[in-house]
Amino acid sequence: MSTLDWIVLFGTLASIVTYGLYRSRGSNTVDRFLLAGKTMPWYAMALSIMATQASAVTFISTTGQSYVDGMRFVQFYFGLPIAMVILCATVVPVFHRAKVFTAYEYLEQRFDSKTRALASVIFLCQRGLSAGLTLYAPAIVLSAILGWPDRVTIALMGLTVIMYTSLGGVKAVTWSDVQQMCIIFLGLVASLVTVIVLLPHSISFPDAMYLAGAAGRLNAVTTHFDWNDRFTLWSGLIGGTFLFLSYFGCDQSQVQRYLTGSSIEQSRLSLIFNAVAKIPMQFFILFIGAMVFVFYLFVQPPVLFEQAALSRIQTSGDYGAVNDQYARAFEQRKQAAFQLIEAHHAHDSALESRQIAEYRSAQRAIDNVRDRAAKLVETTGGERGFSDTNYIFLSFVTRYLPVGLVGLVIAVMFAATMSASAGEINSLATVSMIDLYRRYFRKEASDHHYLMASRWATIFWGAYAIASAGFGRKLGSLIVAVNVLGSLFYGSLLGVFGLAFFFRGVRGTAAFWGMLAGEAVVFWAFFFTGISFLWYNVIGCAVVIATALSITYATGNSQAHVN
Amino acid sequence: MPGPRDIPDEPPPFLGTWPRVYLAVLIYLGLIIAICYGFTRALE
Repeated sequence: MSTLDWIVLFGTLASIVTYGLYRSRGSNTVDRFLLAGKTMPWYAMALSIMATQASAVTFISTTGQSYVDGMRFVQFYFGLPIAMVILCATVVPVFHRAKVFTAYEYLEQRFDSKTRALASVIFLCQRGLSAGLTLYAPAIVLSAILGWPDRVTIALMGLTVIMYTSLGGVKAVTWSDVQQMCIIFLGLVASLVTVIVLLPHSISFPDAMYLAGAAGRLNAVTTHFDWNDRFTLWSGLIGGTFLFLSYFGCDQSQVQRYLTGSSIEQSRLSLIFNAVAKIPMQFFILFIGAMVFVFYLFVQPPVLFEQAALSRIQTSGDYGAVNDQYARAFEQRKQAAFQLIEAHHAHDSALESRQIAEYRSAQRAIDNVRDRAAKLVETTGGERGFSDTNYIFLSFVTRYLPVGLVGLVIAVMFAATMSASAGEINSLATVSMIDLYRRYFRKEASDHHYLMASRWATIFWGAYAIASAGFGRKLGSLIVAVNVLGSLFYGSLLGVFGLAFFFRGVRGTAAFWGMLAGEAVVFWAFFFTGISFLWYNVIGCAVVIATALSITYATGNSQAHVN
Repeated sequence: MPGPRDIPDEPPPFLGTWPRVYLAVLIYLGLIIAICYGFTRALE
């Protein structure tokens, strides 16, 4: 990176941290530290909710996903607006009126202490695991650019987040998120404009869309039904709704964002904003990946985007053959792409059909060579099931973006990571302090004691996230890994909140055993079936409710009914 | 536990009532899916 890129990167990061700390002045009580004294306006909560969900993984992995598999991933978000409407109508007013710090605190009001404790522990397991992954993503960025060890980057990022989160609490997190989202939008627009400008002069924007579409990179909607397919219209609408109900309704990292609202109306507006803005934003990010694919139709990309893996296979005796084959396949696809555009402009449908077949065949040839190269990584001692999806966008950014813009896009990655990580650490600390420490260890202490305990809990979870981030490399496509981890636990949480809101007759013991049964079935599905992870939320939720209702009736409490 | 009237349920700043806002969001979702479907069909 050039000097200007470094100035842009560190200037942006310093301004985010400074602004967050400046806006968080006066966070000197537990209520202000954990809930911002319930003073936040809707737009700050809305952007904070969006920033917490959009980690660096979103930009690194989603763009790579559309490069190799098209835009089908956008369907994953089709359930989000439905979930937001349900949450606005049910959960938001209940949590506000219950005046709770955490979602799980409400479970004790509704059920009993053991149900609250189990839900809190499930949240700590799930969010604690993904906190490490959130920090791992930018480590890829810097290790790719600077050759720094992942662990150094992870520690630097983690320590920065710990600093402003432990000092400023949720207010610092929220106001930093606002600034981070502004930078993220700016970086995304700049990336798309740049990739389009870099296309050959003979390729217009409609031509680029046509080429991406012909290669299946603009397939945003697939209507077939398949239990094992992760991204279809149906898994998005049904599975996605359940996942987002769990995420925004039962996950403290999100619930805490809208609990800081000054009124029910403000909290609802923050969720409605996300219901409207999230799908277009994801579509936009995926579209950038599709345009990067088109760019690489005309500029030969490396056979593998991860530099370390490429260096490894270059020592192999088979590399020369793979590289020659790749260069020939690339030239063939480039010519096929130009000929396809010519046929398209000539409005000759028979010729166009032939050229489409040739273009797709050339794309398959490229994919086959890349598969050979990936296998070569394995045979030369690299990781099994090697995938370089997460390196595609970064490789493009560092090679082809103009000076200054590289620093901005890298700052976007860091901003996104810091916002997601800060939200997670802040919520983990809140649950540890409110649902466990204050509930079971120190029931009566001063406000100052709990404030300090919250700060120490923040430092602890930050350190834990840094330590566990080292496992990220083993989890393949990061965006999918994060969602799979979440889905292992969310169904049970959603089930118990469903019982709390809609089945008035169910009591604590039934809810508690229902949650355990839900977790058992979801883990069984994960280890012993090929069912896509989006369905785990539906299955887990259904098992919790069915088990709790069965126990309620079996123990003679026949008051269970849908409220 | 505070009573339900402790925190009033204010109307939204647009469309008059919350159910109307929710309906508008669901119609918007339908439109988005239709646009994405058309986009896919037109360019595949």
